[in-house]
Amino acid sequence: MTAQEQETIFRRWLEEHLGLMLKVVRGCATAPQDQDDLFQDVLLQLWSSIPAFRGEAKETTWIYRVAFNTALAWRRVERRRRERHETFLKLDASPRAQPSHVDLLPEQEIVERLYAAIRQLPKVDVSLALMHLDGLSYQEMAEVLGISENYVGVKLNRIRKQLAEQLKGAPDEL
Amino acid sequence: MNFEDLQKAWQSQDAGAQVTINADILLKEVRRNQQQFRATIFWRDVREVGVAFLLTLFFLHQGMRHHDWADYLVAFAGFGVGTFMVLDRLLQRRKQPVSNDSLKACIESSLLQVNHQIWLLKNIFWWYLLPFAAALGISICYSTWPARNSGFPAVIVGVISALFLALLYWGIYWLNQCAVRRALDPRRQELETLLAGLE
Repeated sequence: MTAQEQETIFRRWLEEHLGLMLKVVRGCATAPQDQDDLFQDVLLQLWSSIPAFRGEAKETTWIYRVAFNTALAWRRVERRRRERHETFLKLDASPRAQPSHVDLLPEQEIVERLYAAIRQLPKVDVSLALMHLDGLSYQEMAEVLGISENYVGVKLNRIRKQLAEQLKGAPDEL
Repeated sequence: MNFEDLQKAWQSQDAGAQVTINADILLKEVRRNQQQFRATIFWRDVREVGVAFLLTLFFLHQGMRHHDWADYLVAFAGFGVGTFMVLDRLLQRRKQPVSNDSLKACIESSLLQVNHQIWLLKNIFWWYLLPFAAALGISICYSTWPARNSGFPAVIVGVISALFLALLYWGIYWLNQCAVRRALDPRRQELETLLAGLE
């Protein structure tokens, strides 16, 4: 694969799957600086993984794998040393993008509560919860994690209960 | 609200809309990071393996200059340790986790690597300290032995050298065991917990 092809794929993935990557990052790290660091790591790993991508796996499955593996290996303390030369990332500072649980649309509030609940789960369950919410099939989730579909089902039942428990008392009887 | 409603709300969020990315700067940063990472690994290897080979060259040179077999012995120990480190690095490189593996496979290979690092550091006495200590000990004895009749100062020099070496080696051993306790053991436990979550 040429450097040009690698760059083209990377740019396309950024355009099409940025939301997916950000969801993983937000689900795995809480503080904005940690999210920023983890996001950089995910992008770096994704870039390095492109030459091995042969199109046998679905793009989303591939990106999930890389993102989750990076998130699992990522350790907050170690990453604080990272230096950045230029800013490539601009977070939208508008009130809509800065949830404060005041004046939030009901759906946004649900999403924020979901993120908070997901971060309370064990690390492996975080990955399953995120994929499940994104609507991946059991087969796809099993492929990303390397476990059987049956086991995915068992774990998802448990995760749903845990999430429901954590979201109890939310507005509109979440 | 049931799970399907949650899923609907979740999928309706436009996570990407909150972020603007300058792809050109990003690409530059990603490439720079990758180069930095490669350079870090390269210089770490050079530092660790380089010390052993530098000692080899130094004592080889000393041996050739003074025709001293004890110096050759230290050079041989240095060469042995350096070769062991290079071979180990090459073997471990093949087993490195790949970021596009399944989560379980990635955790398993990370765990294997951490276990190997722990094994290396716990056994540092046998593969790193002992060869050098034995060769240097013999070298010290060999160089101070002819001066044994010149009185107390010669013995003192020999004893101080031996004590200095013992202290230095104890320090190296202690530092490595600290690294196992503080960094590697917690990492192993973390990985084992993750793996248990998938089994």
